[in-house]
Amino acid sequence: MILKQKSLDRRTFLRGIGATMALPFLEIMRPSGALAKTAVAKPPVRTAFFYIPNGVVQSAWHPKDIGQGFKLSPTLQPLESVREKVAVFTKLDRIKVAGTDGHAQAGACWLSSAAPDELSPAGYPLKRTIDQIIATEAGKHTAFRSLELSCNPYEDNRESVYFDNISWYGHGHVARSLRDPRAVFDRLFAMHEHASSGSVLDVVLDDAKSLNRELGYLDQQKLGEYMDSVRTVERQIERVKERQASIDALRLQPPTKPWQAMSREEFIQVMGDLMILALQTDLTRVATLMSGPERWSTPLTVEGLFEKPVQHHGMTHAQGKEEVRKDLEQLDRFHIEQFATLVSKMDAIKEGEGTMLDNMIFTLGSGLSSGELHIYTDLPTVVAGSGGGAIATDRHVKSPQGTPIANLWLTMAQTMGVDIDRIADSTGPLAVA
Amino acid sequence: MIVSVGAEIFDYHRVRGRQAIAVSGSLFEGEELAFNGTARVQDMTGFGKGSWSGDAHLLWHGNVGESLETSLHLERGGRYRVRFQFTVAPDYGIGMLRWNGNVLRESIDCYRSGVALAEVIDLGEMSLEAGEQRLAVELIGGNPKANFYGGDKYLLGLDYVHLDRLDNEDAEVVKEEVPSESETTVSFVDMQPVMKEYCFRCHGVEKTEGKLDLTRFLTREDFLDDIERTRQIVDALEFHEMPPEDETQLPIQKHSRLTAMFRGFIDDYLQEESSLPPVVMRRLNRYEYNNAVRDLLELKGDVFPLPEKPLRAARSYFDPGSGRLPNIVRVSNRALGKNQIEQHILTGVMPFAIDLQAEHGFNNRGEELSVSPILLESFVGLARSIVNAPEFAGYSNAYERLFEMPDGEVVSNERQLVKTRLEILLERAFRAPVSSETLNRYVGFFVSERQRNESFELAMKATVAAVLSSPRFLYLADRAPAAESEQALTSYELAARLAMFLWSSLPDEELLEVARNSTLGQDEVLDTQIRRMLEDSRSQSLSQNFARQWLRLDQLITAVPDFERYEKYYARIGCEQWKFGLQTMLEPLLLFESILVEDRSIMLLIDSNYAYRTDEMASWYRDEIPFQGKENRNRFNTASQSFSRRALTTRREGGVITSAATLTMTSSPLRTNPINRGAWVATVVLNRPPPPPPDVVPEIEADDAAIEAKGMTLRERLVQHQVNPSCVSCHQKIDPLGFALENYDAVGRWRETYRSGLEIDASGELFGKASFKDVVGLKDALLENPEWFMRGFSEHLLAYALGRELEIQDKPAIDRIVRAVLADHGQFSAVVSEVVRSYPFLHKSNQTAHTE
Repeated sequence: MILKQKSLDRRTFLRGIGATMALPFLEIMRPSGALAKTAVAKPPVRTAFFYIPNGVVQSAWHPKDIGQGFKLSPTLQPLESVREKVAVFTKLDRIKVAGTDGHAQAGACWLSSAAPDELSPAGYPLKRTIDQIIATEAGKHTAFRSLELSCNPYEDNRESVYFDNISWYGHGHVARSLRDPRAVFDRLFAMHEHASSGSVLDVVLDDAKSLNRELGYLDQQKLGEYMDSVRTVERQIERVKERQASIDALRLQPPTKPWQAMSREEFIQVMGDLMILALQTDLTRVATLMSGPERWSTPLTVEGLFEKPVQHHGMTHAQGKEEVRKDLEQLDRFHIEQFATLVSKMDAIKEGEGTMLDNMIFTLGSGLSSGELHIYTDLPTVVAGSGGGAIATDRHVKSPQGTPIANLWLTMAQTMGVDIDRIADSTGPLAVA
Repeated sequence: MIVSVGAEIFDYHRVRGRQAIAVSGSLFEGEELAFNGTARVQDMTGFGKGSWSGDAHLLWHGNVGESLETSLHLERGGRYRVRFQFTVAPDYGIGMLRWNGNVLRESIDCYRSGVALAEVIDLGEMSLEAGEQRLAVELIGGNPKANFYGGDKYLLGLDYVHLDRLDNEDAEVVKEEVPSESETTVSFVDMQPVMKEYCFRCHGVEKTEGKLDLTRFLTREDFLDDIERTRQIVDALEFHEMPPEDETQLPIQKHSRLTAMFRGFIDDYLQEESSLPPVVMRRLNRYEYNNAVRDLLELKGDVFPLPEKPLRAARSYFDPGSGRLPNIVRVSNRALGKNQIEQHILTGVMPFAIDLQAEHGFNNRGEELSVSPILLESFVGLARSIVNAPEFAGYSNAYERLFEMPDGEVVSNERQLVKTRLEILLERAFRAPVSSETLNRYVGFFVSERQRNESFELAMKATVAAVLSSPRFLYLADRAPAAESEQALTSYELAARLAMFLWSSLPDEELLEVARNSTLGQDEVLDTQIRRMLEDSRSQSLSQNFARQWLRLDQLITAVPDFERYEKYYARIGCEQWKFGLQTMLEPLLLFESILVEDRSIMLLIDSNYAYRTDEMASWYRDEIPFQGKENRNRFNTASQSFSRRALTTRREGGVITSAATLTMTSSPLRTNPINRGAWVATVVLNRPPPPPPDVVPEIEADDAAIEAKGMTLRERLVQHQVNPSCVSCHQKIDPLGFALENYDAVGRWRETYRSGLEIDASGELFGKASFKDVVGLKDALLENPEWFMRGFSEHLLAYALGRELEIQDKPAIDRIVRAVLADHGQFSAVVSEVVRSYPFLHKSNQTAHTE
């Protein structure tokens, strides 16, 4: 089977959603009003995560040498054109909680590295994830505190909520990912929809407060989610109003093709385009994008790669067989290619002195290293962009045995301006500069 | 644990309606008889509604010399009076009637110038033996005046066969007594030597299998302190999982005494620690939201298209008040196709995303139903888009009453008018008495909207949209109990919980009335309401919301049997790929609905002698090569399908376990997956979900051809792969349930051998109690021990009704439910009624008592 080889055509950027030009950041996008006054010329640093489920084939993943100028491994080959702005991290671990499903835990705990004692009702450790920790800080300045997307193409409900989400506001409170590009577009760019919600929110928040007095302890916790959400949306409306004119001026057209009709590549790229656009226009500074949900052992068509639908999860367990492993390597490469394409798109957008990518921390990873054995050590991790110069790129960083991936999350949070010195089992920030 | 009396299997088909049906007379509807060849069911309503029994008959056509063949099953032998009712018509032929090969009537001329019922053929008294009766009508010619059908053929039509039993010595039906559990207390000191002898070797200091060291439990209190462990021990003993097969077995008496002791520990624990687990308030899921808005605003249909409703009928066939699900159900499940899901009912109204099911549970659990900022936005936007949709005024029967200014009269006090309207609306929307504070909040909102120069209608719409966005509408919550730790639900809360359980919606006016006057808690009032609600068509939510999730049928939507090997599963129609599975999904749901509507026994879900199937499905199950003569394009009718109720001639079919839907969705593309199937049966049927698989799972070939090429069956291959004892102990529980289904291939079709000719071994053992040699034996084992499925089903239903996971504290309540259900032979209404009357359903707990 041969992977389609494509070179990136810059003009195709944003083709999926109908816009045709890359947008200069500062000129158009700065909000008028209070924020504009404090604005400095330096564009903000933004964080995004790209999730690949079920781990990767280990033998084809690991670069053989370390440091600057390392040789890309077979799976990482698609990163060749952007390698100067990419760093590969290996030997980063998460502690696994025994007795619960290896896949749900892999995704739902990837960004929190929640400790074994943080058990959710379903038995998975859950905690506020790093994207949400960052969003609390970075979201102070943007219309939307964060954006959660999933390219989950399955129309069955085979798995529970833990398999299709990597972002959590907190214990048991999921930041549910959006799956429909059209709904994502409407949320981000159909501005007038938001503004008219205002007065309704006042009355329902009042109602919620009075209801709260009648409830027991657990119900009050639950209603707290509702009230927090009302407050978030209220703030969001205020900020969206400030951005109204600048967004309207873009005259964006929504994606026309329904996601059910999209190929895997189209789906991931259109979602990626929407994410890039939201980050570029500074509507949000934090985003997560799942290329697919964890496990979900439903066969799936990957156009241009395999003739028949494949079960990604099943393949990971059968990779002991050479022909299966070869196919799986192709699928891993396909995901890296999708990531690389998004990275290139970011790098094609001029921003300040450099490109948008220079101001990104765009992390690709999986909650499993090898899906064959559900291993949680040596998690695949690639960071694109230098976070405004905070991260040294074009190198392979191999950490000492037993380094928690939480160290990397801690570094990112600190880079994003969060005042914090520990996350989960972190032992200190990871040296990335 | 409850043990059923004797090994004889109760005939669960007798359970019907409020009482068991009389066994003396039996009407066998032609349309319910087994049939093959060109035979099919014809709806006869067009020729005079009510004339043909069941409004349908069995229609057949053929050449002279061919026969319409069918059969029926007689429960008991004896003397019967036998009558036949045929149909006559211009193109019907002359038939010769045979019964078990013997000619009963030489010639029956079914010609008539118009379509009508023939004269009843009374064959008088016959002595019949119990069992299968073969019936055949051979076409021997045609009346000279009759027209040919299809060039050179004639038709025949059979409305019914009536058998009237003449022997009457057996009138009394023995009501089985359920033995009460009177177990003498067994002391720990007595039992310790037994444990030492039979358990310690593996669960002791040297070996601690399953991480259980029994030597560390020194007193009764130690077991009470680790009640979850104790529960597992009871489970393992009751289901004869321990000691394992290859170890020395406990003598029966020691086994029962040991089990009794541990059971006693649990009882003691529950005596001391009986607090009710809390129900966390839950947000309405998408299906419930749709129903609640529909009923509150009296909409003519759904708010948005719901994939949760796989059965779509132009004319509602679901009328539980009639006590009978029609023989022919014409439905479209095209809605599963992409186009219809994207269609709007109300312009601009977009549903929010479906909530995913909990692990081994339903998508109505409070802990897992969150509200994120995005979802909150959706709710606010959705409510507004509903009332502002251009079609809304014509779609809501409450429009005039709620949104319009009264005609022709001057409204002197608009505020008062709105107050009166909202008082009624809020009580229903919030399922609670309306406080003046709450009422004034929404009246105040209306006034401020009105002041923003909005018309009366627009201000009212905005207000209703706010009501639909309120947490009081979106969450099902009980008020915290006052001082005590547990308290009975208020009658409003009970009404709300009941409506959510049986209708997935809000209480209606009648239910609110008994809530208002606080009589709902009374036994007979509650009884009347349960019956009324089950007989209301809204109870279809038990099929659409409960059964669909319970059976995990959504998994069938994306099942992809291999395109080449199972080519017949697919058809390309126009540019759309059509899958056979979309039809089969409805078979278990229609069986469930017939049990609900006709108030039959839930045991028919294990083994039923009838099924709802389309002609295509009949061919799928019966024919060596299905859909013969049908090209790709016309293989399946995609616009709508007609499901008819058919009698089954083999017990390999019937019930949910052996339905093509279940068997297909638990298979892999190129082979069956016995572990999957076994886990499905364990989880769905028995509610004993196996633990998650370990991290290291040995690979098994994806294609059974590769396995069989080595001269090995899939079963042998799987057993070979259980490399260590920890694999074996778990798979011993799961796999037999899957191996029993090996006679069905990856798309649910019966096979005598594997494709390579290798023999199929479908034998196994269940809980060390019942051994079986094939799937019929498995069904028998489940029927002989009905409490297994009754318990599993009751637990699923109770968890669904409560919106929470069950815990050990619920055990006494479940035991009580199962005892009562067993006494009623699993009658559907009895299960529902027992769940409603259970302690956890009627009570709420103080949540602070549970925060640790």
